[in-house]
Amino acid sequence: MQHPYQCIAAIESTAQGQASSHLLAACGHRLVLVDVNDSKIITEWFSAISTTNTAEAPENDDGERPKKKQKTVPPVKPANIIKLTVSPDQAHAVAVTDDKYVRVFTIGNGKLEEISQRCMPKRPCAVQVLPDNATIICGDKFGDVYSLPLLPTASEDVPMVADTALESATLEADEPAFKPSATNLTVHTKRNRKALEAQMQQKAFSAKKEPLKFDHKLLLGHVSMLTGVAYASRNVDGRDRGYIITADRDEHIRISRGPPQSHVIEGYCLGHKEFVSKLCLIPGTDLSVSGGGENELYVWDWPAFTLKRKIHLTDEVVNTGESNAEASRQADDGTMSQADSSKKDVAVSGMWIVPCPAAHGGTETALVVAIERLPMLLAIPVNQLGLPRGQDVNITTIDLGHAPLDLACIGDSVVVSLDAREEGQSRFQAIKLQEVQEQGMIGNVRDGEMEKRLACLNSYPTADASLDGKTLDDLLYNVGNLRKRRGWGDSAKEGDDGPDGDAGVDDVAED
Amino acid sequence: MAGPAKKRQKREDNRQEGQMPQKKFYRQRAHANPFSDHDLTYPSCPAAMDWSQHFPAFTVAKAVSSTDALDNDHEHENIQQISQQVAVADIGCGFGGLLFALAPKMPKTLILGLEIRTSVTEFVQEKAKALRNQNGDSGLYQNVSCIRANTMKFLPNFFTKGQLEKIFLCFPDPHFKARKHKARIVSTTLASEYAYVMKPGGNVYTITDVEDLHLWMAEHFEAHPSFERVSDEELERDECVQTMRTETEEGKKVERNNGTKYVVVFRRLEDPPWP
Repeated sequence: MQHPYQCIAAIESTAQGQASSHLLAACGHRLVLVDVNDSKIITEWFSAISTTNTAEAPENDDGERPKKKQKTVPPVKPANIIKLTVSPDQAHAVAVTDDKYVRVFTIGNGKLEEISQRCMPKRPCAVQVLPDNATIICGDKFGDVYSLPLLPTASEDVPMVADTALESATLEADEPAFKPSATNLTVHTKRNRKALEAQMQQKAFSAKKEPLKFDHKLLLGHVSMLTGVAYASRNVDGRDRGYIITADRDEHIRISRGPPQSHVIEGYCLGHKEFVSKLCLIPGTDLSVSGGGENELYVWDWPAFTLKRKIHLTDEVVNTGESNAEASRQADDGTMSQADSSKKDVAVSGMWIVPCPAAHGGTETALVVAIERLPMLLAIPVNQLGLPRGQDVNITTIDLGHAPLDLACIGDSVVVSLDAREEGQSRFQAIKLQEVQEQGMIGNVRDGEMEKRLACLNSYPTADASLDGKTLDDLLYNVGNLRKRRGWGDSAKEGDDGPDGDAGVDDVAED
Repeated sequence: MAGPAKKRQKREDNRQEGQMPQKKFYRQRAHANPFSDHDLTYPSCPAAMDWSQHFPAFTVAKAVSSTDALDNDHEHENIQQISQQVAVADIGCGFGGLLFALAPKMPKTLILGLEIRTSVTEFVQEKAKALRNQNGDSGLYQNVSCIRANTMKFLPNFFTKGQLEKIFLCFPDPHFKARKHKARIVSTTLASEYAYVMKPGGNVYTITDVEDLHLWMAEHFEAHPSFERVSDEELERDECVQTMRTETEEGKKVERNNGTKYVVVFRRLEDPPWP
């Protein structure tokens, strides 16, 4: 079995007047840099089995479990790359590995060099480098958005000073003396009384979390897992205003001001009925498109916080895809995977804006949508997104044969990384889109030239005997897991205690 | 299932129409995990919320105007409108002591309790119903209601920007363990959400008998650029503070226990101009 490339990113620069294109591709724990013009692999990087992460793993991911459980076997597998992005000036790449590290690389002179690694308190779910090419914003599993300098400051070891108001939360770790947080005069529930007793017996706080050792700011937070973070700027009255748009698992899309006023929430784009998993800003417009666990895309006028329209991903589109997905999966590894059980649930796993030249020339773009596990992409001309309600939007299906994992644009060519696991299968497909005259439809042709150039990536040996389908599925398909498990509603209505498991034990608590 | 079902049965057996509900049939353990996906019902956005269910006396005949439908989404067309918006929210209202004390004091203001525990919410709803019946002549208590909600996640689903004049956070779960601190109802990031739903000039009232939590809440609101602390002199003049001290269920318990009650109030400031 070969390992598909889970993340790819294009780097296009014109250094010294010479245009060059590179593709950065992540395959498990490997990161490969390819010179597209020369069609050769320039550098490889491996995330080492980090020795630090067992020693100073700051906290259990969900923070809910007692500390004791952390003493299980340290991770033996090197950390996989889960997010990959490139700075707007194409000089740096940022990768997130599933050991919660944010890693920054310089890309220069055809080299890829890791210059920093910073361990975040929770696993990052979205990263972006701001247009200033100096700041990373990073949203995490626990709903917080942090900003970090792209290049760590020299004073890496200097303990953080509370430089922003929002930071003070982490500060009371300095308090050395033990002080119980309540007295006997406090009114207690049984459980709190136990907690207090435990505190009394404790000599000092040992469990307090160490503050992060690098420069960072907490910009904003949701009490929900973040699924998308995007920075947008708009020109208002001749001045640029920055915004941070965040999407979460609880159907919210929040619009906050950009730093340094990220504590101001400007508004919400509400209406989703299921989790939001992807957010895509349409350049040059005030439109954004969001998608998640529904078979509809939402088109927003985000500065006005209003829904412009929804785009129904027709049942035919999704259903054909599904039967194909099943067929191809069965062909692939002979087993039926979860695609079967979650057949009817759409989960938007990717949205990108790609070039789509108009028939009469001129540069148009298209929105390309991937639905988790479906072996195709859906393409919509961007100029149709603003169509009023009631008018149908043309959706073109691009069949791929395998489920798309990530996408990058090199010039006019759209490079798609595919979940092709059998050895010898092509893990990339390159296509070119073109708007078909007067119909708003999109035609596509294979870009054989580009595929040839990426042949080196395809033949890059990544066979791994220990690789199994389940592990790969877990790495590649986790959007569908965002769906809430409903259906215990009855028990919640019947039972007086919410469905959080340990209810009813110390019921006499109140009053 | 035996326990709760019995409790529910007793509720039915012991209550006649229009009678006050009895607390002992509605008890529920005091802690709920705000991070879990409870089986909650909440509107997808404030416009989708049918407030007429909660404040039937304030229902207005539907104005037929298609132009001012803000989101020109026709989904919310069938929702009964009410004449005014909720202006006061008691987050974590418990058995509603404060709500029922405030309601007659500000009969023209809509007051809403938000509580994460189902049975406790039901108690408050039943009590509101009973009080409305008993005060049919004066029309009191029409302005108070309660919904089950996890406000840490879904506050913006219920309230629009700048809607609330007062938010009460009374005797919240202290979450003593350091590991549980992020489950506290006050944090800097949550303060941004409270600021969002509040009108500039509006107040957030906090009260607790746990000094540690008091310091925590004071520190987090104080550190937030959208809030300023209200002076102690002004506090003493505020009728709401008095009510909060004496009328909340927990407040009474603390009184009996000779505990200390810590009160801090913060005012929502205007947003700064864009840089």
